Amino acid sequence: MPEIQTKTTRTILARIAGLFCFQRADRDLQDEMEEHLRLLTDRNIARGMSSQDAAASARRDFGSTTLLQQRHRESRAFLFLSDLWRDALFGVRMLLKRPGSTAAIVVALALGIGMNVCVFTFVNALLLRPPTAVRSPGQLREVWQTSGHASGLGHYMPFTYPDYVYFRDHAHSFSGLVAFGDTEAVLWNRAGQGDVIRGGFVSGNFFSVAGVDLPLGRAFTQNDDQPGNPRPLVILNNSFWRGRLSADPFVIGKTMLLNGIGFTVIGVAPPGFTGFVTGDVADFWTPLSMVERTLHDPGRLNSRFSSWLITEGRLAPGVTSGTALAEARVLSRELATAHPDTNKDYDAALFTLAPLPGPVRGYVTAFTGLLLTVFMLVLAIACANAAGLMMVIATGRAREMAIRSALGAGRGRLIRQLTMESVLLSLLAGCAAIALAAGTSRALLGLIPANLPITVDVPLDIRVLVFTFAVAILTGIVFGALPAMRGTRIDPVHVLKEELQSGGYRRSRLRFAMITSQVAVCALLLFGAVLCVRSLLNANSINPGFEIHNIATAELDPGSLGYSNDKVTAFYRDLALRMRAVPGVASVSFVSHLPLAASRQQSPVLPQGSKLPRDSALLVDVFRVAPGYFSTMGVPMLRGRDFTQGEFDSNAPAVVINDTLAARMWPGQDPIGRRLTLGDDKFLSEVIGVVRTGKYRTLGELPLPALFTPVMTPRRVIVVRTLAQPGLALDAIRRETQAVDPNMAATQLETIAEFMSFPLFPARTTGLLLGAAGILALLLTWIGLFGVISASVSQRTREIGVRMAMGATQADVLRLILRQGLALTASGLAIGMVGALTAARLLTVLLYGIRPDDPVTAIGVVIGLAASTLLACYLPARRAARVSPTAALRYE
Amino acid sequence: MGEKKSDVLQGTLDLMVLKTLHVLGPLHGFGIARRIEQLSEDVLQLNEGTVYTSLLRLQQQGFITSAWGASENNRKARFYSVTRRGLKQLLQETEDWERFAGVVERVLNLQREG
Repeated sequence: MPEIQTKTTRTILARIAGLFCFQRADRDLQDEMEEHLRLLTDRNIARGMSSQDAAASARRDFGSTTLLQQRHRESRAFLFLSDLWRDALFGVRMLLKRPGSTAAIVVALALGIGMNVCVFTFVNALLLRPPTAVRSPGQLREVWQTSGHASGLGHYMPFTYPDYVYFRDHAHSFSGLVAFGDTEAVLWNRAGQGDVIRGGFVSGNFFSVAGVDLPLGRAFTQNDDQPGNPRPLVILNNSFWRGRLSADPFVIGKTMLLNGIGFTVIGVAPPGFTGFVTGDVADFWTPLSMVERTLHDPGRLNSRFSSWLITEGRLAPGVTSGTALAEARVLSRELATAHPDTNKDYDAALFTLAPLPGPVRGYVTAFTGLLLTVFMLVLAIACANAAGLMMVIATGRAREMAIRSALGAGRGRLIRQLTMESVLLSLLAGCAAIALAAGTSRALLGLIPANLPITVDVPLDIRVLVFTFAVAILTGIVFGALPAMRGTRIDPVHVLKEELQSGGYRRSRLRFAMITSQVAVCALLLFGAVLCVRSLLNANSINPGFEIHNIATAELDPGSLGYSNDKVTAFYRDLALRMRAVPGVASVSFVSHLPLAASRQQSPVLPQGSKLPRDSALLVDVFRVAPGYFSTMGVPMLRGRDFTQGEFDSNAPAVVINDTLAARMWPGQDPIGRRLTLGDDKFLSEVIGVVRTGKYRTLGELPLPALFTPVMTPRRVIVVRTLAQPGLALDAIRRETQAVDPNMAATQLETIAEFMSFPLFPARTTGLLLGAAGILALLLTWIGLFGVISASVSQRTREIGVRMAMGATQADVLRLILRQGLALTASGLAIGMVGALTAARLLTVLLYGIRPDDPVTAIGVVIGLAASTLLACYLPARRAARVSPTAALRYE
Repeated sequence: MGEKKSDVLQGTLDLMVLKTLHVLGPLHGFGIARRIEQLSEDVLQLNEGTVYTSLLRLQQQGFITSAWGASENNRKARFYSVTRRGLKQLLQETEDWERFAGVVERVLNLQREG
């Protein structure tokens, strides 16, 4: 077997070489053959023939030299390849001859291919692209622990620091195991001005395991990362160093004041290096052991409860993924046995390295897979259009094909020629598609809410190009092959003698079948599109339970500077005072985190006198608020009152609950004045007010119980209600924060409308993309139907003429054509809607306030599609009805 | 059917060319044709040109190499010789051929007995 393989490879290599030395090989063979003939002739003469006979006999014995030369040429190189090149040149000439249809096909295909490429750029950016500047990323594996208790994303547990250390010290399958946390916002005090930048806490071996060479300074060592002796060292992100420090070549050894601690710069990362996972880009890296001091979070490193580390290992030489996984599982179980209180039922999982952390990849794959499927269907419609157009063209080229086949071109050769033309078209479309995708991807990036600290880079790299041209070539073959096979099934004698294209009934039957499937796919896509767009409208009109106008918000965290509680209280009091004095500001308040944001806090709540055990208590979303929060955010107070400043200042045991919680705890009773236990509290809190239930986690959620307490922590969101133009208040927040404390800086400054792009992100993305798919599908189907009916009308001109001569009225002709169009769409619609109602179930999780089998949408799509296809038929039908019978019959 | 026949012939011709070159050493196309003519005793009727097709094939597979030299009447001619790969291939194919021929013979004998 291997022998055969090398044999064919060698032959192929020799043939490729043959491509380049055509003429010399031709001449050599010519010389060889001439010498052979001469020797043969000489021998014949020696045997007593006349010189003339000798030469003739030699030529006879040798066989045809021309044929041999030709055969050698064929096997010397791939004749096939040079033929393809000739086909391509001829194809270009043919396409230039009919620019109209060429443009029509290219535009349709470019739209179809472009949207696929656009989705693929995201697949590439999120799932495929290896990290920049990391050595042999193929050897890296992401290690996760899994908990038997939870499903979905909660199933995967990031590492605690003690667990990481255990793995690092005991796993032999990895030559190095690194750990890093999500980036954290850190206050950078730059010459008295506060600025917020993002820092990544990484293990000491982070850079050495990544195999990164630092262009400036040195990497961390294990010594720099000793929990007992944390060293305030930083390595800077290259783009941060360039952008914010003007690429200062003497930066090594300088000090940066971060969260009030002086850090020494020891290195600069190479350009493009952003760590192992993308999206979460750090401006600087510092050793893990610095996390407690920097974030004022003592005990984090020793805690067995803080799961915050992503772990990546480099496989040791000769170790397979399977071996590494087996070892990781053993280590997890050892930990589970040693620490049953935290690690009970823990197991381990490995992932290969990709831009996104392993556990979330499944969701992204599913979503992008759905989008790719949708746009592949759009492309299929575009293909059907192009194929239809190609068939019309092929009918017109029957004579050309007949002549070529009469001149000796084989059918295979003609098919190849025609397919080459369609591949050329689709390659052209592929080029346009890349331009289209580049624009669309950038527009889609704009949808990512600003309050997510995510940086996605969607480059058009080699993988995207390969994908594009693979799809383009495949498209060309798909839409070209069928018309090519049809177009070349001709009897040259018949065609040339008759000078007529034969009836083409079979051909139109194929076109009708294509239209039916086009309408079916279109119905499917349109149904999905309308569902998603209606869901987006629903999501937009969902009342989140607070006002979404005239509110400005920003995040503040004086705790990151290590301030005492008194200093934090004083800071907020001064800030609130100054903000209230700003013209246009109506009210100011604070909340621990905004509802519908990424973070959330939950606590068990028990009513007074409840005999239920603590762990079966109701889990309630908890918000920590300052007085005036409800009025500032426009949350209606149904009963009772807001907190007073006195209650707030004294951390009084008072709470405000929402009406859902009230109904759950004290159904049918007045909750005001009742008492409850919140979380671990040793005391009871009194309900002083009830507010209307809003949305707290997602816009689509059912009413959730929620509770508001006046006990706040240093990290707060300031909410500022303005009379108008909340954008101006954002500047005021930035200015006043610095005025109160120059070391402080506000982050995530945005109006409430901007903030809403976060909860609306899923609905907006699906609505926009599937909506675009639906519109494209409708447009393409419309064009396709129009084309087919037009072509069929012009083919039937004679028939229509006869009918009219026999007394058919214009209305009769109109009905005839419309009936044909309606028959085509009706079956397509029926098939499409059955498929649509089945497939739409996939969308369930993405829809807001609408069922995937919504009957109004279904009926609307059927009527809309039927009406628009009728319109597509009406225009050619009207033309047919105006045919003058005499003109039609005189024709030919 | 016709294709099958020429396939067998093609492989056989390659084998004969290889064997000839192995036994007689470097030879030009004319020489190979003469030798095969001599041995086949007119059983094998082939255009001498096909020898060159066979030579090209063998060369592409790396079983023979060629070099320019002078022919009997002192003109430029290409001489072919077997490579080490070719020798290995020759041994392998000879063995295959003999096994194949043996099988065919046995089958034919069996028919005669039956």
